Amino acid sequence: MAHETHAKTLPADLGAPAFVDGWQKRALIIGLAFSVIAAGLALADGSIDHVLRAWLLGMVLTFGFSVGGLALLMVQYCSGGKWGLLLRRPLEAMSRTLPLVFVYWVVVTLSLRKLYLWAAVGDVSAALKSGWINEVQAHAIEFKRPMLNPMAFVVTGLVCFAIWGFYTWRLNALGLQRDAASPATTPKWIKRMENISGPGIVVYAITMSAAVIYWVMSLDPTWYSSVYGLLFLVGQAYGVLALSIIVVISLSKAEPFKTILRQTEQHDLGKLTFAFVMLNIYLAFSQFLIIWSGNLPEEIPWYLDRIRGHWGVIITLDLIFHWLIPFTLLLSRDLKRNKKRLVLVCQWMVFARAFDLFWLIEPNFKDAAGNLHFSWGILEYAAVPVAMVAFWVAYFCTQLKTRPLVQTNDPHLAEILEPEHVHA
Amino acid sequence: MPPREGTYGLLAEFDTPGDLIRAARQARQDGWRRLDCYTPYPVEEAAEAIGFHRNKVPLLTLIGGLMGGAAMFGLEVWISVLAYPLNIGGRPTYSWPAFIVPAYEWTILFAGLSAAFGMLALNGLPALYHPLFNAPNFRDGATTDKFFLCLEALDPKFDLAEAKKYLESFQPVSVVEVQY
Repeated sequence: MAHETHAKTLPADLGAPAFVDGWQKRALIIGLAFSVIAAGLALADGSIDHVLRAWLLGMVLTFGFSVGGLALLMVQYCSGGKWGLLLRRPLEAMSRTLPLVFVYWVVVTLSLRKLYLWAAVGDVSAALKSGWINEVQAHAIEFKRPMLNPMAFVVTGLVCFAIWGFYTWRLNALGLQRDAASPATTPKWIKRMENISGPGIVVYAITMSAAVIYWVMSLDPTWYSSVYGLLFLVGQAYGVLALSIIVVISLSKAEPFKTILRQTEQHDLGKLTFAFVMLNIYLAFSQFLIIWSGNLPEEIPWYLDRIRGHWGVIITLDLIFHWLIPFTLLLSRDLKRNKKRLVLVCQWMVFARAFDLFWLIEPNFKDAAGNLHFSWGILEYAAVPVAMVAFWVAYFCTQLKTRPLVQTNDPHLAEILEPEHVHA
Repeated sequence: MPPREGTYGLLAEFDTPGDLIRAARQARQDGWRRLDCYTPYPVEEAAEAIGFHRNKVPLLTLIGGLMGGAAMFGLEVWISVLAYPLNIGGRPTYSWPAFIVPAYEWTILFAGLSAAFGMLALNGLPALYHPLFNAPNFRDGATTDKFFLCLEALDPKFDLAEAKKYLESFQPVSVVEVQY
């Protein structure tokens, strides 16, 4: 069709803009400040218990950003689409933060006895006699011993991190090689990335399920839910998409994202995020409905611990924060096309994800189950994860600066440089 | 309503969407308000060019969805609490978690139906007759490969001779007069 082309040209410098240094500095300052606050709270509380619980929350949250970023990277290689090209380098940078998450995990592993009942209880019958654990817990701990023991915890964790590390290394290395290759090889590269990513998504789903079952679900050794892995998988996508939108829009204040971020792709990302908001509540509610309907003594105490004793307030707020607010706001087409407002909603979603994890983690412990009460310790949840996420952001910025922000050897690049509403 | 007679409007035919959009944008800028674009596939810029504004479909969808959800939830509450209370495994008769799923489905169903039928109604569809189909080039081209701009006679600026001259200034393939 005869029509003139108005395609934009990609700027010569594709490196991260200078203000990423500023983000990094700010993140480090916040990280240090909140570390000091966390230490102060631990002194006021006189115990390190809550520091570790909050640490676990921070670890699971940053794990979601890092490995969830890797998963979304693999998904976009398989699905294609211009949004994928847009996110590719930020997602690669997220996946390369895995070493920091590993360090966070090592700290959890070193404090197994403080966090996990199954690790703390050595002699089950003695613990039962002394009244430390009840009969149900004693039975569960004994029955699940082959799976829930420190050795299995460490080995599973190491295997999972090794697998994620492999995929991170492979995809990141090939991503650079692809840019150096000639455009004639592009179709081969697309196939190659797909062939790695497709099985990678399956492997990720399995390893991630195993990891969260050990790290979070086993905090209560008596309880189990078959949808648990999927719930975290969707939760990670929820968090990672929100984070990606924040990163992409913040980067668009300068080149090269100023050129390549179009309203169409921003809108698409908003829609995708909306889908995950929906899927997240769908799964969470399904789990609740099934357990509520069954009303079995093996399952229902987990919810009762999280509803009774003022936890009802938290679960209600969780529903509002985690679903109602993002859902109603992201329904709006105008909001999804507005940079400032979309970023605000996404920041809120990252907070809501952390709030949801608080509701999942804290009631596992005997002093908090069915009894939400104030202590200096509980404030650690507002200090330790903030510091950990801030350090993570600083590390992420380092990784973001190491490569050009746009992959050039990709057919979508020409499309993304065209003006919006192209005449077919 | 008595049958309308006379000129419906002037129809200009273009070969490319780009030409159509340029003409439509200019016409809108020159003060034309009763005008419309016809293209074989959605061309978003054409809608923008003639001053597309918000419509009431989102509002209809929202109202439809809320009504669907409320109706189903109400029905379930009425059956389980008032009309036919049953003791199911000792659960309360007002078991809201169990009511959510059908209420949700009805929300989606009625939101979807409201969007689809609301869109049709606001478009004035179904319409059994449209004067533009009197133009043979429109019949043949509007759904295949031609792009049309129609200046309607209802526009206060409309004057048959002047409007024809005006449209011809965009160098269309043809300009034809369409009768009711």
